[in-house]
Amino acid sequence: MSAAVAERSAALARVSSDVSLAARFLAPAWPIETFIAVNPLGGLEDLPFGQAVERAGDLLGARGTMGEPFFRAEHARGRITDGDLRSALALRGLADLEAQEVELGALRLTALELLLHELRNGREVPAPARRLHTVAELCAPDVAAAVDSQASKWCAAYLDVGQAGWTMPGREQGFYDAWAALARHDRSLPRAARSMLAALPPGPEEAVLEALEELGIARGQEREYLQAHLARLPGWAAHVRWRGEHLHDFGLVDYLAMRLLYERALLAAAGALAAAPAGAPAAGEPSREPSIGERVLELVQGLGVSGEATLEQLTAAGRVLELMPPRERALVWLEAYEGHYRDGLVEQLSRPAAAVPRGRPDAQLVCCIDARSEGLRRHLESVGSYETLGFAGFFAVAIRYRDLAGGASSALCPVLLEPANEIRETPRQGSEEAAARALAGRAALAGAEEGFHASKDEMLAPFALAEASGWLAAPLAAGKTLTPGGFGALRGRLLRRAVPAAPTVLGVEQAFSFEERALFAEVALTMMGLTSGFAPLVVLCGHGSTTENNPYEAALDCGACGGNRGAPNARVAAAILNGADVRTHLAGRGIEIPPDTWFVAAEHDTATDTVSIIEDESFDSHRGEQIERLRADLGEAGRRLAAERCGQLPSAPASPPAEEAARHVRRRSSDWSEVFPEWGLAGNAAFIVAPRSVTAGLDLGRRAFLHSYDAEVDPDGAALETILTAPLVVAQWINCQYYFSAVDPVVFGAGAKTIHNVVAGVGVLAGHNGDLQLGLPWQSLADGRSLVHEPMRLLALVQAPLQRIETLIARNTILQHLFGNGWVALAARERDGERWLRYTTRGFEPWQGQEEGR
Amino acid sequence: MSHEGLSKMTKIEVVAAGSLGTAVRDVFKAAGASGFTGVSGVSGLGHGGYHQGRLLFNEGASLELLITVVDDEKVGPLVAGLRALFDESPGVMFVSDVYVSRPEHFR
Repeated sequence: MSAAVAERSAALARVSSDVSLAARFLAPAWPIETFIAVNPLGGLEDLPFGQAVERAGDLLGARGTMGEPFFRAEHARGRITDGDLRSALALRGLADLEAQEVELGALRLTALELLLHELRNGREVPAPARRLHTVAELCAPDVAAAVDSQASKWCAAYLDVGQAGWTMPGREQGFYDAWAALARHDRSLPRAARSMLAALPPGPEEAVLEALEELGIARGQEREYLQAHLARLPGWAAHVRWRGEHLHDFGLVDYLAMRLLYERALLAAAGALAAAPAGAPAAGEPSREPSIGERVLELVQGLGVSGEATLEQLTAAGRVLELMPPRERALVWLEAYEGHYRDGLVEQLSRPAAAVPRGRPDAQLVCCIDARSEGLRRHLESVGSYETLGFAGFFAVAIRYRDLAGGASSALCPVLLEPANEIRETPRQGSEEAAARALAGRAALAGAEEGFHASKDEMLAPFALAEASGWLAAPLAAGKTLTPGGFGALRGRLLRRAVPAAPTVLGVEQAFSFEERALFAEVALTMMGLTSGFAPLVVLCGHGSTTENNPYEAALDCGACGGNRGAPNARVAAAILNGADVRTHLAGRGIEIPPDTWFVAAEHDTATDTVSIIEDESFDSHRGEQIERLRADLGEAGRRLAAERCGQLPSAPASPPAEEAARHVRRRSSDWSEVFPEWGLAGNAAFIVAPRSVTAGLDLGRRAFLHSYDAEVDPDGAALETILTAPLVVAQWINCQYYFSAVDPVVFGAGAKTIHNVVAGVGVLAGHNGDLQLGLPWQSLADGRSLVHEPMRLLALVQAPLQRIETLIARNTILQHLFGNGWVALAARERDGERWLRYTTRGFEPWQGQEEGR
Repeated sequence: MSHEGLSKMTKIEVVAAGSLGTAVRDVFKAAGASGFTGVSGVSGLGHGGYHQGRLLFNEGASLELLITVVDDEKVGPLVAGLRALFDESPGVMFVSDVYVSRPEHFR
């Protein structure tokens, strides 16, 4: 190999690394059908939170915190108090300023008061702006827009999963080859550009290298230039990153090759390539903050002492202000905003633990850690002799699941895992005919739906379709719109008739070896601290959400099940825990499950607050009375929860009787025009790892993820390590998705639902073109202009030996990043009755602010 | 030690966070490596302290060992790509001679 060839080969390998590193700031975006919440700045978690959001501001022009006007308004209405601000400043090591006096003319005040004055009155910091720009942006903005338009068009064409009438030709060759074969024929491009696109490099790495050279990008600046391109359409780039990592046919090297080749060709066609500045990219100046002199001047003017203060006094005031640069003020406000909630929660959790009810409960309900479960658990405990626990809703069984209809399987587990076991739902013995009827019904409905939609895409068929079905479609549409509740009930009845329920089995023993089942059973019970005191009924309750006309349906389903409904996991886990061989193994490990204890699967519909008990192969028909009582109590708990939720749902009755509330949430669930079917996880703010006795009897407002944990049954900390490195991480991703969607709905959110168009089956566009929307729609976060979700970072509260927690942090980089860099705050205590301590880089310190009046 | 009948090639082993696995595999591919072996959930002690091994429910946060074997002409590009990756990401790389019986499988 010649030196030149070797150098070229090395350069191509470096392109791959440069693209990977350039894209670190973008978290992969999953397809919308399994909408997975992620921290959009997940790639920057190795940086302190403040630095990460500053970097996101430079790269994406995105805001990383709410703006000061928001916080000042919250201060004005009492949501943030001066006490919260003082606490926030104290946590930054500025408590001593309380004792330092500053004189300004006749005015005498403390240094802390100076900072508080500037927090309340300082000139607003300019909004972040992108600092890295492409050549086209600088010298031919029309070309930059055309590159975006082409990129969006070809991404949608290639990624389409059956929505379009025609499939992109050559798709099976992978993106780069398929696109390269077609781009040259695109008549919407100038002839000169088409000519250039007719002779493309053979592979995407060569294409990137060649285009960067011709665009004049200086050596060493390639990564920044690639970032400038990635930041133009971060939604598409984030989804392509996911695609490259999971399906491998279309990755960011292909995507960037396409963009750069378009940029080169279109600039050349416009005669602008020669005019491109040498050595691009150009980095814009950072947004200008006021100088210290300007700040002091504004301060004395604001305090009404301008002209009175001496130079020495002004200099002293300037030294105080320097302790808090303007760009950090929003972070101080955020910390105060969070502190107000957190201090209240810590105070709530500091009261003596609830007395453990004597005697064996009638049933134990194990719910997902999802914050919505907190309401169901609280209400169920209040209506009868029930104990509830929290555990990740996949119940420790990571499965690939194929339902009775067959088709594509789904990964029902957190996306942190790759499932190794496949479960197939099949008819129960003797139920084959019923299953066949159900399948035929499903096939007929699917065929009718496909035919209806296909007819709309044909040339003449829409006219015939309108004639043939208009008489029915119009009344149906009117019914769905005017009486969604009644229509939903009618449709449910018709559906049950067309697709009758068929008893099925999941074949758990075939899918899992005995060793696997034994391991999963022991891990699950140990992690949730349920190793003794079993009730006669233990209900494993997954969850899902039934909504209509909602592309974001998966965002309301179970995150621990990969954005799917959780019933299959609950069924599998119940079958495993009912197995005699597994119970024998568990007994040998010190976990004695009484012979009369029976595990049963259920599913909580979070839109309607109904809980369905699943009568599957392990259903014990001899427990009829117990089950009926449980059903009745779950029904009552659900109605009470619906009434509680009505208080927050837009246009819901304010304080309805429970029955009316239940009807109302059912109506919302089946209303195809409802943009607020439920609030999902809006409001989430805390993750509590402790026995239920710590939180029992408290109304946590459905804001806390609750993971049961008993340190006594986890002497080596293995269960806690799993909780902190998996369920906590999923919760933090959810928390960050809500947080960033709220603080910058344009870059990190998905805009208004009302103008969404589903594109290619992978996401939505706001309108008919542009970027794939990354996060949550505005209607998941706000009612009109008012935020319902309070954008705060997660607070984790863990009741466990402190030494154990510190050991786990020391050996897990992910925990060092989350807790050390301020992405998640951590409070801990060893046992009931002790004070909560705050984790800091110096170790655990007393939680301040608990006693401070607000 | 006799290597009669065997062909000398180069083995490159990389230990990196599972979340970096795709980037490492992409460099392998871009440099022309024909395959790799991956071992997830490896633990160890390095200059950054102890790293926990297999995490029960989080494959991305644990360390991954990726091994590939290439002939000499691909070593330079592959190492160049990996060094660029490790400029900004934690990870280690070991390069050593190795003898294989069926070199055509690695070309």
